[in-house]
Amino acid sequence: MLLVLARRLANVVPTLLAVIALIFLLFSVLPGSFISGMSEEGRTIDPAVMERMRKEMGLDDPLPTRFAKYVAHIAMGDLGTSFRTREPVTKLIGVRVWPSLKLVFAAMTFAVCVGVTLGFFAALKPGSLLDTASMVGAISGLSLSQFWFGLMLMYLFALKLQWLPSFGYGDGGLSHIILPAVALGVGPMALLARTTRAAVLDVLNADFVRTARSKGMSERRVVEWHVLRNALVLVVTIVGLQFGSLMGQAVVVEKLFAWPGVGSLMVDSVFQRDVPAVQGCILMIVLFFLAINTLVDIAYVVIDPRIRYR
Amino acid sequence: MRKLVWLAAAALAVLGAGAASAQQTPRKGGTIRMTAPYAASFGSLDAHTTPRAQDEIVGKSLNRTLYNWDSAANKLVLELATSVTASADGLVYTYKLRDDAYFHNGRKMTADDIIWSWTRIMDGSKGYPGARYIRLIKGAIAVEKGEAKEISGLKKIDDFTLEVTITDITDPGYYFFDGTTAILPKEEVEKGNFANNPVGLGPFKFKEHIPGSRVVLERFDKFYKPGKPYMDRIIVVLMAEAAARDVAFRNKEIDTSILGPAQYVAYRADPQLSKGILEVAEMFTRSMRMNPAFKPFSDKRVRQAINHAIDTDLIVKRLVKDKAYRATSWLPLSSPSFDKTIKPYAYDPEKAKKLLAEAGYPNGFEFEFTTSQNESWGLPIVEAMIPYLDKVGIKAKPKLIEVTVLTDTLIKGEFQAIISSSLTGPDSLAQLKCFHSKTPRTACNYVAFNNPAFDKLLDDAGQTTDNAKRIDLLRQANNLLYDEAPVWFFNYNKAVLAYQPWIHGLQANPTEITHQYAEDIWVDDKSPVK
Amino acid sequence: MKLPRLRLKGGTSLWIGGGLVTVAIGAAILAPVIALTDPVMGANLMNAEIAPCLEFPFGTDIQGRDIYSRIVYGARISLTVGIVSQICNSLIGVSLGLTAGYWGGWWDDLVSGLTNLMLAIPSLVFALAIMAILGPGLVSLVIALGLTSWSYSCRIARAQVLSLKSQGYVQAATILGYGDLRIMFTQVLPNILGPLIVIATLGMGGAILAEAALSFLGLGIRPPFPSWGSMLSEARDQITTAPWLSVFPGLAIFFTVLGLNLMGDGLRDILDPQSTTRRA
Repeated sequence: MLLVLARRLANVVPTLLAVIALIFLLFSVLPGSFISGMSEEGRTIDPAVMERMRKEMGLDDPLPTRFAKYVAHIAMGDLGTSFRTREPVTKLIGVRVWPSLKLVFAAMTFAVCVGVTLGFFAALKPGSLLDTASMVGAISGLSLSQFWFGLMLMYLFALKLQWLPSFGYGDGGLSHIILPAVALGVGPMALLARTTRAAVLDVLNADFVRTARSKGMSERRVVEWHVLRNALVLVVTIVGLQFGSLMGQAVVVEKLFAWPGVGSLMVDSVFQRDVPAVQGCILMIVLFFLAINTLVDIAYVVIDPRIRYR
Repeated sequence: MRKLVWLAAAALAVLGAGAASAQQTPRKGGTIRMTAPYAASFGSLDAHTTPRAQDEIVGKSLNRTLYNWDSAANKLVLELATSVTASADGLVYTYKLRDDAYFHNGRKMTADDIIWSWTRIMDGSKGYPGARYIRLIKGAIAVEKGEAKEISGLKKIDDFTLEVTITDITDPGYYFFDGTTAILPKEEVEKGNFANNPVGLGPFKFKEHIPGSRVVLERFDKFYKPGKPYMDRIIVVLMAEAAARDVAFRNKEIDTSILGPAQYVAYRADPQLSKGILEVAEMFTRSMRMNPAFKPFSDKRVRQAINHAIDTDLIVKRLVKDKAYRATSWLPLSSPSFDKTIKPYAYDPEKAKKLLAEAGYPNGFEFEFTTSQNESWGLPIVEAMIPYLDKVGIKAKPKLIEVTVLTDTLIKGEFQAIISSSLTGPDSLAQLKCFHSKTPRTACNYVAFNNPAFDKLLDDAGQTTDNAKRIDLLRQANNLLYDEAPVWFFNYNKAVLAYQPWIHGLQANPTEITHQYAEDIWVDDKSPVK
Repeated sequence: MKLPRLRLKGGTSLWIGGGLVTVAIGAAILAPVIALTDPVMGANLMNAEIAPCLEFPFGTDIQGRDIYSRIVYGARISLTVGIVSQICNSLIGVSLGLTAGYWGGWWDDLVSGLTNLMLAIPSLVFALAIMAILGPGLVSLVIALGLTSWSYSCRIARAQVLSLKSQGYVQAATILGYGDLRIMFTQVLPNILGPLIVIATLGMGGAILAEAALSFLGLGIRPPFPSWGSMLSEARDQITTAPWLSVFPGLAIFFTVLGLNLMGDGLRDILDPQSTTRRA
C-alpha cells in the first residue's frame, strides 16, 4: 500500500508542477485585465488609479520575475492575493471547497446508486424491457446538454411541482442540493449504467463463471461471489475517473443553480480577470482529481489483491 | 411622439414615488430577499476598494455617503449633513454634519471620520477608485503624490462642522454621493480584515457573508432616521443567471429581480406579475462608437448616414421590447440639458445612401463591428443592425469580445466600431467632458472627439456659477453632438425591477435601480419568510 | 449464448445512429437548398417571435429569423466544430501515442507526463481558459476543443504500439528495412483505426455538447452565423414566452449527439469487438 502511494506521488508531483507552469503561462496572455474590467458600463476608473493598481498587483513586473514569485509563493502554500477581494486566494477558495465537495459527492452518490443498480439488473436480463429502457435512458442521458437539463429540472420540480427550491445553497440542507446534484450526476449515471451492464455481462460470460456454474454453484451465489466482485473493479475505475473530473464539470451546474462552489468562483473570476483566483481554482480542481485517482489506485489493491501497481 | 415618451417616463417616476407613500402604515419587522444579478459573487464589502455596481447593492444598506440621490425628487440631497453653505465664488462649502449618526460599533460620527475616510482614499500607494472624486478637493492631489499627509482643502471647524474647498465650480454632491466615497470608521478599518467585518453608518449592519451565495444584514437600531429602518433583515442573494432568477422569482423564493427584455414582456403580460413592476429611465446611453481613425468614420456624413440607415425605433420596440427609450443624443432624458425639441435621426435609407455617395462611398464599405454578448446592448442588437446596414451597402463584420475586455478595447482604441453602454448622468458636465478634446482616450474620450466649438461650450459651462446658463450651454453642447454624430445613438436604458406584492417602498433610482435605500422599504405580513 | 443478441443490438444502434447523423450531415451539405431564408440577412423584426406555423415551420427568433433555416445552417457549424476538433484530437493523440510507444525513452516519459496533465485538467475548464484567451469564435472553439481531449487516443495508440512491439511485428518490419515512420503508419496505424474511429465519433458528440456549455458560459461562437449551442443558450431567457426558440435547437443537439453516440456504440461492436466494456 505504501509503495502504491509512493509511486503515485512520484507521478503526481511533476504533473502538478506542469499544471502550475501551464496555468501561469495561459493566464499571462489573457486579453483584458482586472483593472480595466472593473469599469463597467461607463463607470470608468481614472487612468492614474489604474496605473497604481497595476503596480500594487505587480502586473508591471517582467514575466519571469512574476513566475518566480508565483512558484515561490505556492511552495509556501500561498496562492497569491485575489485582485478582486484583496484577500489570500487560499481563503477565498477555502470557503468554496466544502460546498463543492458536497455537490460532487451528492452527484456521485446519485450516479452510483441509480447507475450501478440499473446497469446491474439490466445485465441480468439482457434484452428485457428493463434492459432496453435503461440503456435507451442512459444513452439519452449522455446526449443531454447539461444546462438545458438543469433548467428543465428547475422548471419542473421547483416551479411546476413546487417540491424543491430552485437555486442556491440555502442553509446547506438536503433540499437545495437535490436538483443540482441530479443535473450534475446524470452524465456519470448514464455512463455507470452502461459500464456496469457491460462489465457484468462480460463477467457472466467469462470462463471462471461458467466453471462455477458447471460446478453446480447456485445462480445467486455466482452473482454474489464472482460477478459483483469482478465487475466492481471496472466500476471503480469509471467512478474514479468521473469523480475526479466532476469538480471541473460542475462549472455549468454551479453557475446555473447559483451554487457557491469552486467552479462558479472560477467562472466568475475568469470573467472578472481575477487571475490569481482562477489559477487557484484550477489548481484546486486538479488537486482534487489527483487525490481521487490516488484513492482509486489504493481501492484497486483493496478490492482485488491480484492487481499490482503497473 | 418624443414628448409623449418623455412624459410617460416622468409620469412613471411620479407614480413610483406615489406608490411608495400611498400605502398603509409601514409594518415593522420582516425580511427582504433582494438579488444581486451582476455577477456570481461579491468583490469586496470594503466600499472604498470597489467601484462595482454589484458590491454597491450591499453597500447602500451598509454605508452612507455625504450626499445621496433622492429618487423621488430626482436630485441630490444631503445625507450625513443637515445643511450646507457655499461661498460666493462657488469653491468653499461649509457643512453642518449630523450629530446623531452612529457607526455600527456604537461610536458617533464626527468631521474627523470624513477627513480620515477621504484621506484614506487618496493613498497613492493603493488604487482606491474613489480617488477620482476626492481629487476635486484642493490639496488632494498632493496627498496622492505623497507630497502631503493631509488634504489641505478639508478643514474641521468643530466636531460637526466641516469646510471643504474644491478646485472646480461644480455641485460637489455629484462627487460625494458615490459609494466609493463612503464614510468608514478608522478604528475598524485599521483592525484589518475589514472586508469581512464591514462596519458603516447605514441602516443595516453586517451579519454574515457566504461567498458565492449571499450576504445577510440586520437592522441597526441606532440609525439616525427616526422609526427606520422597518425591516429586521436583508438577505442579498447572488443570482447572475437570468433564467434561474426568473424561476426563483415565480417560485416566490426571492423578493426582487431585475428583468431583461424577454422577461419584461412576459411579466407585463401576466396578470399577477404585472402588478409588481418598477420601471425607471436609467442614466445609461447605449451607442455604437465610430472610430475616426478608420477612414470612412472620419467623415461626418458617413456617421450621419449610419444613424439614418438603421430603423432604431423598430429595434427598440421589437427587439428591446420597449425596455428602453430611443436616444436622441448623448445626455439621457432625465438630464436638465436634454432638448425635447430635437427629433432623433429618422429612419431613411435613401438619405443614408445619398449621404454615403456624397462622402465618396456610393457602394458602401466594410467595417469590423466589436460587440459583447450583452442582450440589451450587444450581440442581438448587432445582429439586427447587420441587415439594415447591408441595405445601404455597408457590410458589418461582427467581432465578439467579452464584456470584461470592452473597456480595454475602448481605452486602446482597437476598434473600428464598438457598441456599449455608458453612464451619462447625473453630472451632465462630467459626462459630456468625455468628448472634450483635452480628455485623453484612457479617461473616456474613446473616439478621440475633437471639436473646438464643443470644447468652448464645455469650458464656458465649467466656468459659470449660474445654473440656468450652465444648463443651456450643456444643452447646446449636447445638440452639437447630435449633429456631429460621433456615435450611433441607440437608446437610454429603462431599468425594470420586478418585486413581490408584499414588498413596499422600493425607489425608482435612475442611477441604478438595484441600489435601494433599504430604510424606506418595508415588508407586509403576506411575505412567506417568517 | 448471449452474443448473437448483442450483435443484433449493435447493429440496430448503428443503423439508428447512422441515420440520425446522416440527416444532420445532409442538412449541413444541402443547407442553401433546403433553407427557406438566409440565416442572417433573412431577419425581419416585424416577424419576431412567431410560433411555429406553415410559413415558419419551427417559428422565428427574436430577430424575426426563420429558426428552421438557422438550424439547417447551424448544422454546418456544429458539425464542423465536432468533426474538425476530433480530427485535431486524433492527430495529436495518435502522433504522440505512436511515437511515444515506438521510440520510448525520454520522449515516452514526456508524452505520458503531458497525457497526465491533460487528464488532470478537466477539458471543459481547459477549453474555457483557451476560449477566454483567444476570444469567442469558431476558430478559437475548434482550437479549444481540439487541443484538450486527445489523451484517450494517445493512450490507445501507445498501448497498441507496445503490444505489437512485444508480438515481434515491429522487429520483423525493422529487419525488412522499413523506416520508423513507415512502420508506424503501415503496420501500427491500421491496427488501431477501429478504436480511434469509435473514440472520435463519441468525441464529436462531446464537442457539440461542450460548444453548448461554453455558449452558456458566455464563450461560444462568433456571430452572426448560428450554432446550435449559441441558439440554445441565447433562447434560455425566453423559455416561458417563446419555448420554440429553445426546443428546436435543443432537439437538434440531442438527436445529433444521440446519433453519434449510438453510431459510436455500433461501430465499437464491429470494429473493436474485444473491448466492449471500455468506453472512452
